[in-house]
Amino acid sequence: MARSETILEVDSIVTRFGEQTVHDGVSFTLQRGTLTALIGGSGTGKSVLLREVIGLQRPTEGTIRLLGTNVWQDEEDELNAMRRRFGMMFQDGALFSSMTVAQNVAMPLIEHANVPAALLDPLIKLRLAQAGLGADAAEKVPSELSGGMRKRAAIARALALEPEVLFLDEPTSGLDPPTARAFDQLVRSLVDDLGLTVFLVTHDLDTLLTVVDRIIVLGSGKVLADGSIEEILRTDDDWIKAYFSVRTMVDQQSETVS
Amino acid sequence: MPEAVPRTESAAPKAVFERGKDLAALRLTGSWRLASLARVAAELEALQWPEKFAIDGSGITEIDSAGALALLTHVDAHSRSQPQLTGFEANELRIVEQVRGRLEAARAPTKHHQERTIEMIGRRTIEVTLSVLGDINFLGATVVGLGRSVIHPHTVRIRELTAQFEQVCLNAIPVVALVTLLIGVVIAYLLGLQAEQFGANIFVVDGVGIGATREFAPIIVAVIVAGRSGAAFTAQLGSMRLTEETDAIRTLGLSPLDVLVLPRVIALIIAMPLLVFVGDVMSLTGALLIAEPMLDITPPTFIARLRDTLDISHPLVGLAKAPVFALVIAVIGCRMGMSVERDTRAVGMATTSTVVQSIVAVILLDAAFAVFFQAIGI
Repeated sequence: MARSETILEVDSIVTRFGEQTVHDGVSFTLQRGTLTALIGGSGTGKSVLLREVIGLQRPTEGTIRLLGTNVWQDEEDELNAMRRRFGMMFQDGALFSSMTVAQNVAMPLIEHANVPAALLDPLIKLRLAQAGLGADAAEKVPSELSGGMRKRAAIARALALEPEVLFLDEPTSGLDPPTARAFDQLVRSLVDDLGLTVFLVTHDLDTLLTVVDRIIVLGSGKVLADGSIEEILRTDDDWIKAYFSVRTMVDQQSETVS
Repeated sequence: MPEAVPRTESAAPKAVFERGKDLAALRLTGSWRLASLARVAAELEALQWPEKFAIDGSGITEIDSAGALALLTHVDAHSRSQPQLTGFEANELRIVEQVRGRLEAARAPTKHHQERTIEMIGRRTIEVTLSVLGDINFLGATVVGLGRSVIHPHTVRIRELTAQFEQVCLNAIPVVALVTLLIGVVIAYLLGLQAEQFGANIFVVDGVGIGATREFAPIIVAVIVAGRSGAAFTAQLGSMRLTEETDAIRTLGLSPLDVLVLPRVIALIIAMPLLVFVGDVMSLTGALLIAEPMLDITPPTFIARLRDTLDISHPLVGLAKAPVFALVIAVIGCRMGMSVERDTRAVGMATTSTVVQSIVAVILLDAAFAVFFQAIGI
């Protein structure tokens, strides 16, 4: 039922910056309750595509429908209502630096949700716990946090309004491997336990190989490949082979050792 | 299933106790989501809670973690044991269970540390002392650096110096000229209003000559430079601190003082007297322009009177103050920039602080100069 519902529809997106064409007809759809990763080499316009999807940057051509709204044509009122239904985690967190973590999480709740006073504090703490942060982080300002904690605080803020879709820009970049893997599990549990749809841009092979349902590969302005990790690994494309070759080398080495 | 339609207005959340055979059941219906959290809370507040009960979620259309949190906090407050959950769908149950696992964390009290007055005084005293010590240290290092530059002029970074000079001097000339021209007009006009009543029109030239060259031009130029160049120094160096560029300079075996601070300080010390000179000329020009229509003093008369009465010591005093103001503004600007820590807010605060500190310092110094020159009889 709800599982097959289309959340996001990206249709023949073309993006040009002056002479340079970044996207030349990119199309795909996302289904509710899936964890999808967008990968591609540097300069293939992954982050640009993400910004176009959430309405921060206008594509040259093509349409984007997110949660039933045409992101670049519908009225501002409709868009604002839709914006409360997705969460975005920026690469460096983009936490408001003059506020504590708790105030960062509280802001969307106070602005957009009618939360009874008695429930506001528990709800903030719940969001922090859902993002894997302890209560001691609540009263700190972002500059006092480590990189991993800042990412978790950013997730907590993105989750504040119970979004249906969560967009993550390189969620594990700059994290040490154990923290990155814990982050992967956190994202997976958001999909499995809370039924979120997650769309992330990443370069992290471990994320791709362990928790992601589906991978979309962007290259030369188009979707090079689209499918589960097994399907992607079977693709006959030089760049994709090179991308995953490090992993295969490590696997072969560990096989010869054992 | 229709394609992602916007969520329609869903059924209001309701909670009622139904008397079962052996156990009361809390029957939940409607939508238990964040959007209707106020009504969820009101429903739960209004309930009369029995000793033991089970929770029946079969009537729930949707529940999210905020709704589950409201439910579980109320249940927890009224029931010692964990009530049995029935009728929930698998995905709803997962959400409830996830929230239940984090209930302790959500209810943990916040430790607010309220700072006491004595603590605040102590903390501020230490902060201010450290900051003043840092200022003195920085001023000392800069002066030593300046001395070295004078003894060994080839150590000065000429390219950086000329680039800075263009910024702080050449690019500043239009705004300095415009502002001081208007100041000259205003002083002459106000003096003229008074002087006219006594038929002492010609003395306006004396007054403007002394006032503009000795006090107004240096002060006005210093305020413009503090807002223009002092603030720019702080913002430039501050953002270089944020992006670790100053650390990169250090690891390349160079000194940020030599590469960044000294060229700015030297450029401003050279630029400021020149700008004050521009200010002198423009303010006198302003006075000259208004003198004829208002006071019937023709330009030749104005210039002749100026030559007779304006002692050269007055412009020289004004020009002599300029490099001192420049040193103070440049040192405050660079020091505030270099003291920015890894915090994006800090650049903005440091920049504001630079402008305030510079202007206060310039006016205090100007007062000290007034006393000093009075004492030595200039």
